[in-house]
Amino acid sequence: MKNKYPYTFFTILLVILAMVITACGGSSTEEPAAESGSESEAAKQTDESAAGETASSEAEAITLKFVICCAPEDAVTYNEIFDAWKAAEPQYANVNIELDVTPFAELFPKIETSVAAGADFDLFQADGPDIKHYSYNKVIISLDEYFTEEEKAEFLPQTIEEGSYLGTFMSPAIMQSCSLMFYNSDMTDAAGVQPPQELDGWTIQEAWDAWQATQTDENGDGTPEVWGIRWGQGTWTGDYEQGIIRRSAGEKDSPTYNGMGPDGITFVGYLDTPEAIAGYQAYRDMHFGEKAVTPIESIPDIFFTKQSAFVVHPDNAIGTINRLYPDGDFNYGVTGIPYMEGGTELCHTGSWHYGVSPNSEHKDVAAALVKFITGHDGARIWYDNVRQLPARFDLLNELPEYNEYPQQLFAQGLQEIGQPRIQTPCYTEYQQLHAVLLQDLQSAEELDVAARVHQAASDIESACAKYKGWNE
Amino acid sequence: MQGTAPIQTQSLSLRRIFNWRRRNYLIAFLFVLPALINFTLFRYYPIVSAARSSLYNYSLLGGYQDFVGFDHYIRMASDPSFWNSLKVTFVYVLIKIPIQVALALGLAIFLSKQSIGSSIVRSAIMAPMVTSIIVVSIIWALMLHSEQGLFQSILVSLGFQKVRFISSETRALPTLSVMMIWKDVGFSMIILMAGLKGIPRVYYEAATVDGATPWQRFWNVTMPLLRPVLMFVLVTQVAFSFQMFDPVFQMTKGGPLESTNIIVYYIYQQGFLFQDMGYASALSMVTLIILLIISYGQMRLLNTDY
Repeated sequence: MKNKYPYTFFTILLVILAMVITACGGSSTEEPAAESGSESEAAKQTDESAAGETASSEAEAITLKFVICCAPEDAVTYNEIFDAWKAAEPQYANVNIELDVTPFAELFPKIETSVAAGADFDLFQADGPDIKHYSYNKVIISLDEYFTEEEKAEFLPQTIEEGSYLGTFMSPAIMQSCSLMFYNSDMTDAAGVQPPQELDGWTIQEAWDAWQATQTDENGDGTPEVWGIRWGQGTWTGDYEQGIIRRSAGEKDSPTYNGMGPDGITFVGYLDTPEAIAGYQAYRDMHFGEKAVTPIESIPDIFFTKQSAFVVHPDNAIGTINRLYPDGDFNYGVTGIPYMEGGTELCHTGSWHYGVSPNSEHKDVAAALVKFITGHDGARIWYDNVRQLPARFDLLNELPEYNEYPQQLFAQGLQEIGQPRIQTPCYTEYQQLHAVLLQDLQSAEELDVAARVHQAASDIESACAKYKGWNE
Repeated sequence: MQGTAPIQTQSLSLRRIFNWRRRNYLIAFLFVLPALINFTLFRYYPIVSAARSSLYNYSLLGGYQDFVGFDHYIRMASDPSFWNSLKVTFVYVLIKIPIQVALALGLAIFLSKQSIGSSIVRSAIMAPMVTSIIVVSIIWALMLHSEQGLFQSILVSLGFQKVRFISSETRALPTLSVMMIWKDVGFSMIILMAGLKGIPRVYYEAATVDGATPWQRFWNVTMPLLRPVLMFVLVTQVAFSFQMFDPVFQMTKGGPLESTNIIVYYIYQQGFLFQDMGYASALSMVTLIILLIISYGQMRLLNTDY
């Protein structure tokens, strides 16, 4: 009796507490599913309440919570844009913007968990291909009513495609992209290599000779001091650059080139065609064996620190080179992006988009900010800091540097060989599973490439099955 | 009437005892309350919630969808990645725990004897414990880098070839285990040191008088009396090791070829990266049950009430 009393008491209390908490919580995450397939009631209500809202009509200050990527220095650029916004549109002078800077790898989980937890952020920065995923899950509102047809027409067609969902405009972009191949011309000159200074460049097989010729191992320890190539920005692996190799192995509009079925959920027969497997094999061969031209474990800033002769990168590399070498002692050139022999040259497009959360209590203000950021003036400030292809015709047309080599190649590439990454609400799952495949290809010692690619195609297809009928 | 007075007195004293007990319980309860709220909110409620989620198709963005009953649990049985992640986790625990506890015990015995420099050694061993695991992971990843890492320079200077540590499917898990032993040994050591200090000297003196050798004193005095503390260290370290996540997230992402895809990272992958939170919840429930069974088994094996 002596011991039973407190245990019973505590147990009852615990159960009651658990029941109370269970009763209080849990409903917020159920709402999206309950509304699956139709416009959510919550979104309708917030849309109605937000109609006609302007910051100027409110006496008190408004705070917008803004989730951005990637580095603290980006926040500096954003603050510059915010200042310009308030100067250009004084009715928003009472708007404070709280930035939540999130690293790229954590951006999607951050938005995902924030939405699930009902966090009250107003707008967010997102990678272009994820917009369909957000749209499918109704965590982003339509911006159709905020943009006229003329305003939409100012954006490049790839931007409209990437920022739209089933014909509805959800999210504009601040810039565009197309990765081509940069080279350190001091190194290519020393190796007697002459890359073509035009968009129609080498095949991967032709480029391989140049990568090997420029690779040097002067101390003979088996590790080059200068590697041939780094395929892609940063140190990560993903679809944006590494996914190009397999798509380039197919002829235009072939299953390999398209990357997935028209239903947006079929990958077997698209990702694992013989041509695609040959592309993946080439990617693996870049890292392994006697023909290896790139380190298995990525080296940060390998091209900018003159440890590789070539790099596949968007044009913001020019801004990086200018920043790191203000005296101009980094000589470089640009050539077309290599592609698999018998295939098609292509670069992936897309960049940073902006979405407004349905949970925002200030949708009109948030939409106005998105409009300014991605408008001519905001995008110009961004361009001046980042130096990457604009997503707007008006800005692209007023930048003379895009009429001259090397930046002209990027503008030309965007229009002639630029292809959006696969457009499906399953892009998020695809991207993650594809990254695992790439990691295995570049580092596993024992690997049957064809079997691994088939398995990846099957895994991605299983993960995407839940989106069946999304575009019907 | 004669009999009522003692009965009343007895009743009064019983009530007093009852009130006294109740007051004590109430005071005790108030002390326990903050921890109880914490556990209820952040442990038990999520467990109940995960149990519920495991019966649905559920994703963070899409919310609850179809009720699927035990389908996720059935799916687990034929999911090779799940079995692989369990295998990887057990291998990791089996590599780490024996080495870590043995090392911690040796260090605790060595450092519990006051000697010159023991405080410096103690601080050096404790330093990794108080360092952020993310910082540790980043620094180790830099030191282990296959081309430019500090370890590679040492290997080359000693005449060896460079070795891939974290990008090799055969070496990645042992490498992570070594790193985590280095990180966690200080915690085990400090607990065991406290346990050693709690053993009365008189037992050792009696054993010495009886002619016991140092090994006999260790085996017959130290070990039995240290058993409850050892059990605590083992149970907590096994539980912590099962929850290892950050180094995998930071250094290997579960690869290559799932060689470091321990169960918690696999759960993270399924829930947060592959958008299958229902399945991730089922995986969590199974992991919880496995941990409970292991902890119970450990307590039974060590025959200690806890």
